[in-house]
Amino acid sequence: MKTSVVGSRVVREDAWGKVFGQTKFPADVNLQGQIYAVVIRSPHPHARVLGINSEQAMSLAGVVAVLTAKDVPNNSHGVLFRDQPVLAEYIRMVGDPVAVVGAETEEIARAAAKLVEVEYEVLPAVFDPEEAMMPDALPLHPTLRPTNVLYHMPIRRGNLQEGWAQADVVIEKEYSTQHVDHAFLQPEAVLAHVDERGHMVVETATQYAHYDRGEIAHALGLRFSQVQVKTLAVGGAFGGREDISLQIMAALMAWNTLRPVKMENTREESFYSHSKRHPMRMHYKTGATKDGKLVALEAKIIGDAGAYSSWSINVLRKSAVHASGPYVIPNVSIDSYAVFTNNPYSGAMRGFGAAQTVLAYESQMDLLAKEIGISPLEIRLRNLFKVGSTTATGQVLTGSVPLDQCLAKIAPYLQRGGDSQ
Amino acid sequence: MKKRGIGLGCSWYGTGYGNGFPDVSSAFVEIHDDGSATVLTGAVDVGQGSNSIFAQIAAEELGLESQDICVYSGDTDATPDSGTTAATRQTYNTGNAVLKAVRQAKSSLLDYAAHEFSCPTSEGIELKAGYIGVKGDSSRRMPLADMVFQARLKGERFISAESSTARSTPVDPETGQGAPYWPYAFGCQMAEVEVNTETGMVRVLKVVAVHDVGKALNPTQVEGQIAGGVTQGIGFALLEELELKEGKINNPALSSYLIPTALDVPSIEALFVEDAECTGPFGAKGLGEPAMLPTVAAIINAIDDAVGVRITSLPATPEKILQALAEKKEGLGE
Repeated sequence: MKTSVVGSRVVREDAWGKVFGQTKFPADVNLQGQIYAVVIRSPHPHARVLGINSEQAMSLAGVVAVLTAKDVPNNSHGVLFRDQPVLAEYIRMVGDPVAVVGAETEEIARAAAKLVEVEYEVLPAVFDPEEAMMPDALPLHPTLRPTNVLYHMPIRRGNLQEGWAQADVVIEKEYSTQHVDHAFLQPEAVLAHVDERGHMVVETATQYAHYDRGEIAHALGLRFSQVQVKTLAVGGAFGGREDISLQIMAALMAWNTLRPVKMENTREESFYSHSKRHPMRMHYKTGATKDGKLVALEAKIIGDAGAYSSWSINVLRKSAVHASGPYVIPNVSIDSYAVFTNNPYSGAMRGFGAAQTVLAYESQMDLLAKEIGISPLEIRLRNLFKVGSTTATGQVLTGSVPLDQCLAKIAPYLQRGGDSQ
Repeated sequence: MKKRGIGLGCSWYGTGYGNGFPDVSSAFVEIHDDGSATVLTGAVDVGQGSNSIFAQIAAEELGLESQDICVYSGDTDATPDSGTTAATRQTYNTGNAVLKAVRQAKSSLLDYAAHEFSCPTSEGIELKAGYIGVKGDSSRRMPLADMVFQARLKGERFISAESSTARSTPVDPETGQGAPYWPYAFGCQMAEVEVNTETGMVRVLKVVAVHDVGKALNPTQVEGQIAGGVTQGIGFALLEELELKEGKINNPALSSYLIPTALDVPSIEALFVEDAECTGPFGAKGLGEPAMLPTVAAIINAIDDAVGVRITSLPATPEKILQALAEKKEGLGE
């Protein structure tokens, strides 16, 4: 199809403001008469809040309010399950918010936060997902799941025994990936106020304004039509702005005090305020014939979901679906698990479960190629998906499947003695 | 000693929510009296450039320039829900919704114009370079603005609302069989690294990335996504790691949690393959997440090529590489 504007190098409209520093990020907007709110977070990974004494904090000049769990009409939020408290009475990770302090200035709010006394009953915690999977491990979300296994996805295709029988070469290895932070440049910030209509208006940087609206409305007991979420410039997201961070707390403070409320995370607070990339342990056993044809794959993938479910089910499903790599493997047995622990909660991050498995399946491809004595390019060419190929989930690929074209373009760069500097 | 190696990584990525979850985007369009237009959509531009893409799609359909289109997004009082900016779905999914909405508004405009030009069917009308007129007869045309303005005087407005839903089905929970995602995006990358065998430091010298984008709606933005993805992939492969002790983060600062800086970014050659995806707007697929996927494999495979050690745990820190080199030496000594 001939196009003129589509396919051209149009300059983005937002480029100018960003280059000249005029773009408004949520930290840049303010309202007359606004107060500042800061969060008090749990230092313990697993605990019960026995009591919160805010008398001393409230007596500090300039302090407007200290809000705790009892001030939240519906104290929960979450993308798949509402299993995350707005303000916690039961702590499942270091950094769970227990109270939010509003004051005339940020300095006063931070000073007051230090004066709030929180009494905890510290509980035993579990940090290793394989330990957390043990049947005797204390379940962290008993109302959601009887054990800490939030999700298990099996993929079965073909006959694994026949696959191993056909295999001339088998490579078996363990791979692991780490907790990764999105580290977007702009820490979370929110400006919330009740406007002249009596509507709750929340200005923030989010990946999904309509989701935020629903969670704010739910927590505060408002209608969707009474809540406006307005997205200002987003300074990087990468999945880290999918779950709620400060939005509900800021709205709650504004709703309770009828003052505009500004919240802005420090970098350290930001690290505790959003999800992480799932660390994964991946056990891979891959078999190929001496001609370099893949015949069998057995994979077990354990993802650390951390303290809350967030997107873990979808992430570990994506890991399982993509575990084969873009290759035809007729005999497959894949199991992926998402497991609750008392680590920071894991959620969406660019690649969403399909980023971790690349390490495993592409390392296996190189190791197999070496063992068989063919080049890394050659083993991929012999197994790659084409139009009409069937994936491990039995999906027949139709339409656009141009991995062969991609490899044809990269092949010249794989020649030894290239021109790289 | 510094040793060089190259590595290859391939990847695939099912875009969209997947597994049968309703993946819906919506858009409102209004064509104005002066021949410009506004697109309203809930799709948040998180910096990847979706607003520009929607402007290009609308401009293409209306025979206008990108700057004739105002795209306003992510305000729940004004814009319809377009799902989350995630899952590599906005260009594809909201792009489709914008295209459908523009085509709907355009269709009533063409019908109106056909009548004005005494043309029995709107098939005979075209929008081009800010004009609306009869195909093949350059004498019968007028500025789009004049047509829309005249239409207003007769009570005709060209506005529309449309939604687009991606195709996806749930997999069987016992066997995992099914067609969970559509479309899939493919890609491969080559990394050249230099490994210092005394310090264990890895420098990425060059990355060549080839990605399947269906159709590059804006090649500059394709290159931008690839550069960002490769850089994030380098962080994942070599640098980034949250240090946890009993659930507490020991490095919650950018001085101790290391992300790539400009000095860590190698020369990146961003290439793409255009093999039209028939369900995408103008044949496009998303690229956001796929751009970072192959990098980690290309780097880990390149390290093995350079010094003959297989790193299986990320990130590939100097400590891990030195330990692997020491183990390899021991192994050879035995």
